[in-house]
Amino acid sequence: MIEIKSLYFKYSNAKDYILKDVSLKIGLGEVVAIMGSNGSGKTTLIKHFNGLLKPSEGSVKVFGKDTRNDSVASLSKRIGLVFQNPGHQIFSDTVWNELAFALKNFGLEDDVINRRVKWALEFFNLVQYKDTSPLLLSGGEKKRLCLASVLAWNPDYVVLDEPTVGQDFLQKEKLREVIKMLVTQNKSVVIVSHDVEFVWLLQPRLILLSNGQVIRDGKCVDVFSDKEARQQCGIIMPQLLELYEELYPRIPHPPVDVLDARATLLRSLARGA
Amino acid sequence: MLFSLSLLGNTIFQFIIILSTILFIGLISKVLRRMSKTIMFSLSFLAMIFIINILVGYDILFSIIVSLRFISVVSSSSIFFLTSSPDELELVMKSLRLPYDLIFAFVTAVRFVPVIMLDALQILDSQRSRGLEIEKGNLVRRVKNYLPVLVPLIVQSIIRSEELAEAMESRAYGFSKKKTSYYSLHLRNRDYLMLVLCLTFVISFILSIYFLHI
Repeated sequence: MIEIKSLYFKYSNAKDYILKDVSLKIGLGEVVAIMGSNGSGKTTLIKHFNGLLKPSEGSVKVFGKDTRNDSVASLSKRIGLVFQNPGHQIFSDTVWNELAFALKNFGLEDDVINRRVKWALEFFNLVQYKDTSPLLLSGGEKKRLCLASVLAWNPDYVVLDEPTVGQDFLQKEKLREVIKMLVTQNKSVVIVSHDVEFVWLLQPRLILLSNGQVIRDGKCVDVFSDKEARQQCGIIMPQLLELYEELYPRIPHPPVDVLDARATLLRSLARGA
Repeated sequence: MLFSLSLLGNTIFQFIIILSTILFIGLISKVLRRMSKTIMFSLSFLAMIFIINILVGYDILFSIIVSLRFISVVSSSSIFFLTSSPDELELVMKSLRLPYDLIFAFVTAVRFVPVIMLDALQILDSQRSRGLEIEKGNLVRRVKNYLPVLVPLIVQSIIRSEELAEAMESRAYGFSKKKTSYYSLHLRNRDYLMLVLCLTFVISFILSIYFLHI
Protein backbone atom coordinates (compact mmCIF):
# COMPACT_ATOMS: atom_id res chain seq x y z
CA MET A 1 0.00 0.00 0.00
CA ILE A 2 1.32 3.40 -0.99
CA GLU A 3 -0.15 6.14 1.13
CA ILE A 4 0.58 9.76 0.38
CA LYS A 5 -0.64 12.41 2.77
CA SER A 6 -0.65 16.11 1.82
CA LEU A 7 2.68 15.85 0.08
CA TYR A 8 4.47 19.06 -0.79
CA PHE A 9 7.73 18.94 -2.64
CA LYS A 10 10.30 21.41 -3.86
CA TYR A 11 14.00 21.12 -4.59
CA SER A 12 16.09 22.62 -1.82
CA ASN A 13 17.36 25.52 -3.91
CA ALA A 14 14.04 26.24 -5.67
CA LYS A 15 11.38 28.72 -4.72
CA ASP A 16 8.20 27.11 -6.05
CA TYR A 17 6.70 23.84 -5.01
CA ILE A 18 6.58 21.20 -7.73
CA LEU A 19 3.99 19.12 -5.89
CA LYS A 20 1.31 20.79 -3.82
CA ASP A 21 -0.93 19.04 -1.35
CA VAL A 22 -1.01 15.66 -3.09
CA SER A 23 -2.92 12.98 -1.21
CA LEU A 24 -3.32 9.51 -2.67
CA LYS A 25 -3.75 5.91 -1.71
CA ILE A 26 -2.77 3.20 -4.13
CA GLY A 27 -3.68 -0.28 -3.01
CA LEU A 28 -2.55 -3.65 -4.31
CA GLY A 29 -4.18 -5.01 -7.45
CA GLU A 30 -4.87 -1.57 -8.89
CA VAL A 31 -4.04 -0.14 -12.29
CA VAL A 32 -3.48 3.57 -12.01
CA ALA A 33 -2.68 5.99 -14.80
CA ILE A 34 -1.22 9.40 -14.04
CA MET A 35 -1.67 11.98 -16.75
CA GLY A 36 -0.96 15.67 -17.03
CA SER A 37 0.78 18.18 -19.23
CA ASN A 38 4.56 18.42 -19.39
CA GLY A 39 6.01 19.77 -16.19
CA SER A 40 2.93 18.99 -14.12
CA GLY A 41 4.97 16.92 -11.69
CA LYS A 42 4.18 13.37 -12.80
CA THR A 43 7.73 12.07 -12.74
CA THR A 44 8.47 13.97 -9.53
CA LEU A 45 5.49 12.24 -7.94
CA ILE A 46 6.52 8.71 -8.89
CA LYS A 47 10.05 9.33 -7.66
CA HIS A 48 8.52 9.64 -4.20
CA PHE A 49 7.19 6.10 -4.35
CA ASN A 50 10.58 4.48 -3.85
CA GLY A 51 12.18 7.27 -1.89
CA LEU A 52 14.37 8.74 -4.62
CA LEU A 53 12.83 12.01 -3.53
CA LYS A 54 11.68 12.65 0.01
CA PRO A 55 8.75 14.93 0.75
CA SER A 56 9.45 18.52 1.79
CA GLU A 57 6.22 18.44 3.80
CA GLY A 58 3.64 15.74 4.37
CA SER A 59 4.44 12.05 4.21
CA VAL A 60 4.75 9.10 1.88
CA LYS A 61 4.22 5.72 3.46
CA VAL A 62 4.98 2.46 1.69
CA PHE A 63 3.52 -0.60 3.38
CA GLY A 64 3.12 1.46 6.52
CA LYS A 65 6.71 2.70 6.64
CA ASP A 66 7.66 6.32 6.09
CA THR A 67 9.99 6.61 3.10
CA ARG A 68 12.13 9.06 5.01
CA ASN A 69 13.23 6.26 7.31
CA ASP A 70 14.06 3.75 4.61
CA SER A 71 16.73 3.42 1.95
CA VAL A 72 15.95 3.58 -1.75
CA ALA A 73 17.39 0.11 -2.20
CA SER A 74 15.09 -1.54 0.33
CA LEU A 75 12.04 0.36 -0.92
CA SER A 76 12.85 -0.57 -4.51
CA LYS A 77 12.56 -4.23 -3.64
CA ARG A 78 8.81 -3.73 -3.45
CA ILE A 79 8.41 -0.72 -5.74
CA GLY A 80 9.94 -1.17 -9.18
CA LEU A 81 10.44 2.00 -11.18
CA VAL A 82 11.03 1.80 -14.91
CA PHE A 83 12.28 5.08 -16.29
CA GLN A 84 11.53 6.60 -19.64
CA ASN A 85 14.95 6.50 -21.24
CA PRO A 86 16.60 3.06 -21.47
CA GLY A 87 19.88 4.84 -22.20
CA HIS A 88 19.91 5.94 -18.57
CA GLN A 89 20.19 2.47 -17.17
CA ILE A 90 21.75 0.09 -19.69
CA PHE A 91 25.42 -0.47 -18.92
CA SER A 92 26.18 -4.20 -18.77
CA ASP A 93 28.17 -6.21 -21.28
CA THR A 94 25.38 -8.72 -21.89
CA VAL A 95 21.61 -8.73 -21.72
CA TRP A 96 21.83 -11.47 -19.11
CA ASN A 97 23.97 -9.35 -16.78
CA GLU A 98 21.74 -6.36 -17.31
CA LEU A 99 18.78 -8.40 -16.11
CA ALA A 100 20.71 -9.83 -13.18
CA PHE A 101 22.13 -6.48 -12.01
CA ALA A 102 19.32 -5.47 -9.70
CA LEU A 103 18.85 -8.99 -8.37
CA LYS A 104 22.51 -9.13 -7.37
CA ASN A 105 22.15 -5.73 -5.70
CA PHE A 106 19.25 -7.05 -3.66
CA GLY A 107 21.44 -9.93 -2.56
CA LEU A 108 19.30 -12.75 -3.94
CA GLU A 109 20.77 -16.23 -4.15
CA ASP A 110 22.38 -17.42 -7.36
CA ASP A 111 19.82 -20.05 -8.28
CA VAL A 112 16.98 -17.57 -7.68
CA ILE A 113 18.76 -15.06 -9.91
CA ASN A 114 19.21 -17.68 -12.63
CA ARG A 115 15.59 -18.67 -12.46
CA ARG A 116 14.24 -15.13 -12.50
CA VAL A 117 16.51 -13.97 -15.32
CA LYS A 118 15.59 -17.00 -17.39
CA TRP A 119 11.93 -16.26 -16.83
CA ALA A 120 12.37 -12.61 -17.84
CA LEU A 121 14.30 -13.56 -20.99
CA GLU A 122 11.60 -15.95 -22.07
CA PHE A 123 8.67 -13.79 -21.11
CA PHE A 124 9.97 -10.78 -22.99
CA ASN A 125 11.25 -12.66 -26.04
CA LEU A 126 14.85 -11.77 -25.37
CA VAL A 127 16.32 -15.29 -25.19
CA GLN A 128 18.22 -14.99 -28.47
CA TYR A 129 19.97 -11.86 -27.19
CA LYS A 130 21.07 -13.23 -23.86
CA ASP A 131 24.79 -12.99 -24.67
CA THR A 132 24.75 -9.89 -26.86
CA SER A 133 25.47 -6.39 -25.68
CA PRO A 134 22.28 -4.60 -24.68
CA LEU A 135 23.57 -1.51 -26.44
CA LEU A 136 23.15 -3.26 -29.78
CA LEU A 137 19.41 -3.82 -29.32
CA SER A 138 16.85 -1.69 -31.12
CA GLY A 139 15.04 1.10 -29.29
CA GLY A 140 11.94 -0.98 -28.66
CA GLU A 141 13.95 -3.96 -27.46
CA LYS A 142 15.92 -1.78 -25.07
CA LYS A 143 12.68 -0.53 -23.62
CA ARG A 144 11.47 -4.10 -23.21
CA LEU A 145 14.75 -5.01 -21.57
CA CYS A 146 14.31 -2.24 -19.02
CA LEU A 147 10.83 -3.46 -18.15
CA ALA A 148 12.12 -7.02 -17.95
CA SER A 149 15.00 -6.01 -15.69
CA VAL A 150 12.52 -4.60 -13.20
CA LEU A 151 9.91 -7.35 -13.41
CA ALA A 152 12.73 -9.85 -12.87
CA TRP A 153 12.81 -9.15 -9.15
CA ASN A 154 9.05 -9.35 -8.89
CA PRO A 155 8.18 -6.10 -7.12
CA ASP A 156 4.69 -5.53 -5.70
CA TYR A 157 4.30 -2.21 -7.47
CA VAL A 158 5.49 -1.62 -11.01
CA VAL A 159 5.73 2.05 -11.88
CA LEU A 160 6.21 2.80 -15.56
CA ASP A 161 7.25 6.21 -16.85
CA GLU A 162 6.04 6.67 -20.43
CA PRO A 163 6.14 2.98 -21.34
CA THR A 164 4.57 3.34 -24.79
CA VAL A 165 6.91 5.95 -26.27
CA GLY A 166 8.56 4.59 -29.39
CA GLN A 167 6.79 1.24 -29.18
CA ASP A 168 4.97 -0.29 -32.13
CA PHE A 169 1.41 -1.54 -31.92
CA LEU A 170 2.31 -5.15 -31.14
CA GLN A 171 4.61 -4.13 -28.31
CA LYS A 172 1.89 -1.97 -26.82
CA GLU A 173 -0.49 -4.93 -26.96
CA LYS A 174 2.10 -7.06 -25.25
CA LEU A 175 2.60 -4.40 -22.60
CA ARG A 176 -1.14 -4.32 -22.00
CA GLU A 177 -1.12 -8.08 -21.51
CA VAL A 178 1.77 -7.81 -19.06
CA ILE A 179 -0.12 -5.21 -17.06
CA LYS A 180 -3.24 -7.38 -16.98
CA MET A 181 -1.19 -10.37 -15.88
CA LEU A 182 0.41 -8.38 -13.05
CA VAL A 183 -3.00 -7.32 -11.80
CA THR A 184 -4.23 -10.91 -11.68
CA GLN A 185 -1.25 -11.60 -9.41
CA ASN A 186 -2.52 -8.86 -7.09
CA LYS A 187 0.27 -6.51 -8.03
CA SER A 188 -0.23 -2.86 -8.84
CA VAL A 189 0.78 -1.02 -11.95
CA VAL A 190 1.15 2.73 -12.07
CA ILE A 191 1.76 4.23 -15.47
CA VAL A 192 2.66 7.77 -16.37
CA SER A 193 1.67 8.42 -19.94
CA HIS A 194 0.54 10.86 -22.59
CA ASP A 195 -0.89 8.04 -24.67
CA VAL A 196 -4.65 8.60 -24.35
CA GLU A 197 -5.69 5.61 -26.45
CA PHE A 198 -3.43 3.23 -24.56
CA VAL A 199 -4.77 4.45 -21.24
CA TRP A 200 -8.36 4.13 -22.46
CA LEU A 201 -7.85 0.50 -23.44
CA LEU A 202 -6.49 -0.23 -19.96
CA GLN A 203 -9.50 1.37 -18.24
CA PRO A 204 -7.47 2.27 -15.15
CA ARG A 205 -8.16 4.55 -12.27
CA LEU A 206 -7.09 7.87 -13.70
CA ILE A 207 -5.33 10.64 -11.84
CA LEU A 208 -4.91 14.03 -13.48
CA LEU A 209 -2.13 16.32 -12.36
CA SER A 210 -1.91 19.99 -13.16
CA ASN A 211 0.73 22.34 -11.77
CA GLY A 212 1.64 19.83 -9.11
CA GLN A 213 -1.89 19.31 -7.86
CA VAL A 214 -4.25 16.40 -8.27
CA ILE A 215 -7.27 17.84 -10.03
CA ARG A 216 -9.17 14.64 -10.76
CA ASP A 217 -8.92 11.13 -9.39
CA GLY A 218 -11.47 8.57 -10.40
CA LYS A 219 -12.77 6.14 -12.96
CA CYS A 220 -11.26 6.53 -16.40
CA VAL A 221 -14.61 7.32 -18.06
CA ASP A 222 -15.58 9.99 -15.58
CA VAL A 223 -12.25 11.74 -15.68
CA PHE A 224 -11.97 11.70 -19.47
CA SER A 225 -15.51 13.05 -19.78
CA ASP A 226 -14.64 16.07 -17.67
CA LYS A 227 -14.05 18.75 -20.26
CA GLU A 228 -12.65 21.32 -17.90
CA ALA A 229 -10.14 18.94 -16.39
CA ARG A 230 -9.10 17.78 -19.85
CA GLN A 231 -8.40 21.30 -20.95
CA GLN A 232 -6.48 22.07 -17.81
CA CYS A 233 -4.18 19.12 -18.43
CA GLY A 234 -3.90 19.50 -22.17
CA ILE A 235 -5.23 16.03 -22.99
CA ILE A 236 -7.82 14.99 -25.51
CA MET A 237 -10.62 12.46 -25.25
CA PRO A 238 -10.02 8.93 -26.49
CA GLN A 239 -11.53 8.58 -29.95
CA LEU A 240 -14.11 5.95 -28.99
CA LEU A 241 -15.34 8.02 -26.09
CA GLU A 242 -15.53 11.10 -28.29
CA LEU A 243 -17.54 9.22 -30.88
CA TYR A 244 -19.97 7.94 -28.29
CA GLU A 245 -20.31 11.32 -26.63
CA GLU A 246 -21.46 12.55 -30.05
CA LEU A 247 -23.75 9.60 -30.76
CA TYR A 248 -25.20 8.69 -27.41
CA PRO A 249 -24.22 11.34 -24.85
CA ARG A 250 -25.89 9.64 -21.89
CA ILE A 251 -24.61 6.12 -22.41
CA PRO A 252 -23.63 4.70 -19.00
CA HIS A 253 -20.79 2.46 -20.15
CA PRO A 254 -19.01 3.76 -23.24
CA PRO A 255 -17.27 1.01 -25.21
CA VAL A 256 -13.71 0.13 -24.34
CA ASP A 257 -12.47 -1.14 -27.70
CA VAL A 258 -13.67 -1.45 -31.28
CA LEU A 259 -15.36 -4.83 -30.83
CA ASP A 260 -17.17 -3.53 -27.82
CA ALA A 261 -18.17 -0.43 -29.79
CA ARG A 262 -19.56 -2.56 -32.60
CA ALA A 263 -21.69 -4.58 -30.22
CA THR A 264 -22.97 -1.45 -28.46
CA LEU A 265 -23.76 0.18 -31.78
CA LEU A 266 -25.64 -2.88 -33.06
CA ARG A 267 -27.68 -3.06 -29.87
CA SER A 268 -28.60 0.61 -30.13
CA LEU A 269 -29.58 0.25 -33.78
CA ALA A 270 -31.71 -2.79 -32.97
CA ARG A 271 -33.53 -0.72 -30.37
CA GLY A 272 -34.02 1.91 -33.06
CA ALA A 273 -32.24 4.60 -31.12
CA MET B 1 44.34 36.50 -14.83
CA LEU B 2 43.59 35.99 -11.18
CA PHE B 3 43.53 32.34 -12.07
CA SER B 4 47.15 32.38 -13.14
CA LEU B 5 48.10 34.52 -10.19
CA SER B 6 46.62 31.93 -7.88
CA LEU B 7 49.06 29.43 -9.30
CA LEU B 8 51.89 31.87 -8.80
CA GLY B 9 51.12 32.75 -5.22
CA ASN B 10 53.41 31.38 -2.54
CA THR B 11 52.67 32.97 0.80
CA ILE B 12 49.57 33.43 2.87
CA PHE B 13 49.75 37.19 2.52
CA GLN B 14 49.71 36.95 -1.26
CA PHE B 15 46.64 34.77 -1.16
CA ILE B 16 44.84 37.14 1.13
CA ILE B 17 45.35 39.85 -1.47
CA ILE B 18 44.27 37.56 -4.31
CA LEU B 19 41.19 36.28 -2.52
CA SER B 20 40.03 39.71 -1.47
CA THR B 21 40.39 40.93 -5.04
CA ILE B 22 38.39 37.95 -6.24
CA LEU B 23 35.69 38.68 -3.69
CA PHE B 24 35.67 42.35 -4.71
CA ILE B 25 35.25 41.48 -8.38
CA GLY B 26 32.57 38.96 -7.50
CA LEU B 27 30.79 41.66 -5.53
CA ILE B 28 30.80 44.27 -8.29
CA SER B 29 29.71 41.75 -10.90
CA LYS B 30 26.85 40.60 -8.63
CA VAL B 31 27.64 36.88 -8.73
CA LEU B 32 28.79 36.57 -5.14
CA ARG B 33 25.84 34.46 -4.06
CA ARG B 34 26.18 31.94 -6.85
CA MET B 35 29.90 31.94 -6.37
CA SER B 36 29.52 31.09 -2.72
CA LYS B 37 27.57 28.00 -3.73
CA THR B 38 30.44 26.74 -5.83
CA ILE B 39 32.85 27.46 -3.03
CA MET B 40 30.65 25.69 -0.48
CA PHE B 41 30.58 22.72 -2.79
CA SER B 42 34.36 22.72 -3.09
CA LEU B 43 34.88 22.95 0.67
CA SER B 44 34.80 19.18 1.03
CA PHE B 45 37.54 18.85 -1.57
CA LEU B 46 39.38 21.58 0.24
CA ALA B 47 39.26 19.64 3.47
CA MET B 48 40.42 16.55 1.63
CA ILE B 49 43.38 18.36 0.09
CA PHE B 50 44.32 19.82 3.45
CA ILE B 51 44.15 16.48 5.24
CA ILE B 52 46.01 14.58 2.56
CA ASN B 53 48.75 17.19 2.56
CA ILE B 54 49.19 16.86 6.27
CA LEU B 55 49.06 13.07 6.14
CA VAL B 56 51.68 12.98 3.42
CA GLY B 57 53.91 14.91 5.74
CA TYR B 58 53.98 18.52 4.64
CA ASP B 59 53.80 21.08 7.39
CA ILE B 60 50.64 22.95 8.26
CA LEU B 61 51.72 26.22 6.65
CA PHE B 62 52.27 24.54 3.32
CA SER B 63 48.95 22.71 3.55
CA ILE B 64 47.17 25.97 4.24
CA ILE B 65 48.84 27.57 1.26
CA VAL B 66 47.87 24.70 -1.01
CA SER B 67 44.28 24.90 0.22
CA LEU B 68 44.20 28.64 -0.31
CA ARG B 69 45.59 28.15 -3.78
CA PHE B 70 42.85 25.65 -4.52
CA ILE B 71 40.10 27.92 -3.32
CA SER B 72 41.38 30.90 -5.30
CA VAL B 73 41.62 28.76 -8.43
CA VAL B 74 38.05 27.54 -7.93
CA SER B 75 36.60 30.95 -7.13
CA SER B 76 38.43 32.79 -9.91
CA SER B 77 37.35 30.28 -12.55
CA SER B 78 33.83 30.35 -11.16
CA ILE B 79 33.77 34.15 -11.63
CA PHE B 80 34.88 33.66 -15.19
CA PHE B 81 32.14 31.16 -16.06
CA LEU B 82 29.46 33.03 -14.14
CA THR B 83 30.11 36.34 -15.84
CA SER B 84 30.78 35.25 -19.40
CA SER B 85 28.23 33.27 -21.38
CA PRO B 86 29.40 30.65 -23.89
CA ASP B 87 28.18 32.94 -26.68
CA GLU B 88 30.40 35.76 -25.53
CA LEU B 89 33.32 33.38 -25.29
CA GLU B 90 32.66 32.29 -28.82
CA LEU B 91 32.70 35.87 -30.09
CA VAL B 92 35.89 36.69 -28.23
CA MET B 93 37.66 33.61 -29.53
CA LYS B 94 36.46 34.43 -33.01
CA SER B 95 37.89 37.92 -32.79
CA LEU B 96 41.18 36.31 -31.80
CA ARG B 97 40.98 34.50 -35.17
CA LEU B 98 41.19 31.00 -33.76
CA PRO B 99 40.05 28.21 -36.13
CA TYR B 100 36.29 27.95 -35.94
CA ASP B 101 36.14 24.20 -35.43
CA LEU B 102 38.25 24.59 -32.34
CA ILE B 103 36.08 27.40 -31.01
CA PHE B 104 32.98 25.38 -31.68
CA ALA B 105 34.30 22.33 -29.88
CA PHE B 106 35.22 24.40 -26.85
CA VAL B 107 31.97 26.31 -26.67
CA THR B 108 29.89 23.17 -27.12
CA ALA B 109 31.81 21.45 -24.36
CA VAL B 110 31.11 24.34 -21.99
CA ARG B 111 27.49 24.51 -23.02
CA PHE B 112 26.85 20.82 -22.53
CA VAL B 113 28.11 20.62 -18.97
CA PRO B 114 24.67 21.26 -17.40
CA VAL B 115 23.02 18.81 -19.79
CA ILE B 116 25.46 16.08 -18.87
CA MET B 117 24.98 16.87 -15.19
CA LEU B 118 21.25 16.37 -15.65
CA ASP B 119 21.89 13.09 -17.43
CA ALA B 120 24.10 11.92 -14.61
CA LEU B 121 21.39 12.65 -12.05
CA GLN B 122 18.79 10.73 -14.04
CA ILE B 123 21.11 7.77 -14.47
CA LEU B 124 21.81 7.79 -10.77
CA ASP B 125 18.07 7.74 -10.03
CA SER B 126 17.61 4.93 -12.49
CA GLN B 127 20.32 2.75 -10.98
CA ARG B 128 19.38 3.50 -7.40
CA SER B 129 15.89 2.30 -8.28
CA ARG B 130 17.54 -0.97 -9.21
CA GLY B 131 19.12 -1.30 -5.82
CA LEU B 132 22.50 0.29 -6.48
CA GLU B 133 24.04 1.73 -3.33
CA ILE B 134 26.93 3.96 -4.29
CA GLU B 135 28.18 4.47 -0.75
CA LYS B 136 28.30 0.81 0.13
CA GLY B 137 31.37 -1.36 0.56
CA ASN B 138 35.11 -0.80 0.77
CA LEU B 139 37.13 1.51 -1.45
CA VAL B 140 37.51 -0.89 -4.38
CA ARG B 141 33.82 -1.75 -4.25
CA ARG B 142 32.89 1.93 -4.18
CA VAL B 143 34.92 2.69 -7.27
CA LYS B 144 33.23 -0.27 -8.95
CA ASN B 145 29.85 1.08 -7.85
CA TYR B 146 30.33 4.03 -10.17
CA LEU B 147 30.51 1.81 -13.23
CA PRO B 148 26.72 1.54 -13.72
CA VAL B 149 26.57 5.34 -13.68
CA LEU B 150 29.62 6.12 -15.78
CA VAL B 151 28.98 3.68 -18.62
CA PRO B 152 25.50 5.00 -19.52
CA LEU B 153 26.77 8.56 -19.08
CA ILE B 154 29.59 8.07 -21.58
CA VAL B 155 27.38 6.14 -23.99
CA GLN B 156 24.72 8.84 -23.80
CA SER B 157 27.28 11.56 -24.42
CA ILE B 158 28.64 9.78 -27.48
CA ILE B 159 25.15 9.23 -28.83
CA ARG B 160 24.31 12.84 -28.16
CA SER B 161 27.41 14.12 -29.95
CA GLU B 162 26.59 11.98 -32.95
CA GLU B 163 23.04 13.25 -33.02
CA LEU B 164 24.29 16.79 -32.64
CA ALA B 165 26.65 16.37 -35.56
CA GLU B 166 23.91 14.94 -37.76
CA ALA B 167 21.42 17.62 -36.77
CA MET B 168 23.97 20.31 -37.50
CA GLU B 169 24.99 18.88 -40.82
CA SER B 170 21.38 18.65 -41.87
CA ARG B 171 21.14 22.34 -41.11
CA ALA B 172 24.12 23.03 -43.36
CA TYR B 173 26.85 23.48 -40.78
CA GLY B 174 30.11 24.39 -42.52
CA PHE B 175 28.41 25.48 -45.70
CA SER B 176 29.46 29.13 -45.65
CA LYS B 177 33.11 29.91 -45.15
CA LYS B 178 32.64 33.30 -43.56
CA LYS B 179 30.50 33.32 -40.45
CA THR B 180 28.43 36.24 -39.32
CA SER B 181 27.06 36.74 -35.82
CA TYR B 182 23.79 38.02 -34.57
CA TYR B 183 25.51 39.82 -31.73
CA SER B 184 28.69 41.78 -31.76
CA LEU B 185 30.90 42.68 -28.84
CA HIS B 186 32.29 46.15 -28.35
CA LEU B 187 34.57 47.30 -25.61
CA ARG B 188 33.06 50.19 -23.72
CA ASN B 189 34.82 52.69 -21.48
CA ARG B 190 34.24 50.68 -18.33
CA ASP B 191 35.64 47.57 -19.99
CA TYR B 192 38.84 49.47 -20.77
CA LEU B 193 38.91 50.73 -17.20
CA MET B 194 38.54 47.18 -15.88
CA LEU B 195 41.23 45.95 -18.23
CA VAL B 196 43.67 48.62 -17.12
CA LEU B 197 42.88 48.00 -13.45
CA CYS B 198 43.38 44.26 -13.80
CA LEU B 199 46.61 44.67 -15.72
CA THR B 200 47.95 47.11 -13.14
CA PHE B 201 47.00 44.72 -10.39
CA VAL B 202 48.69 41.75 -12.05
CA ILE B 203 51.84 43.62 -12.97
CA SER B 204 52.21 45.20 -9.57
CA PHE B 205 51.55 41.86 -7.93
CA ILE B 206 54.24 40.10 -9.94
CA LEU B 207 56.69 42.94 -9.51
CA SER B 208 56.14 43.04 -5.77
CA ILE B 209 56.72 39.30 -5.53
CA TYR B 210 60.04 39.54 -7.28
CA PHE B 211 61.36 42.83 -5.95
CA LEU B 212 59.76 43.40 -2.58
CA HIS B 213 59.51 39.73 -1.58
CA ILE B 214 56.24 40.17 0.27
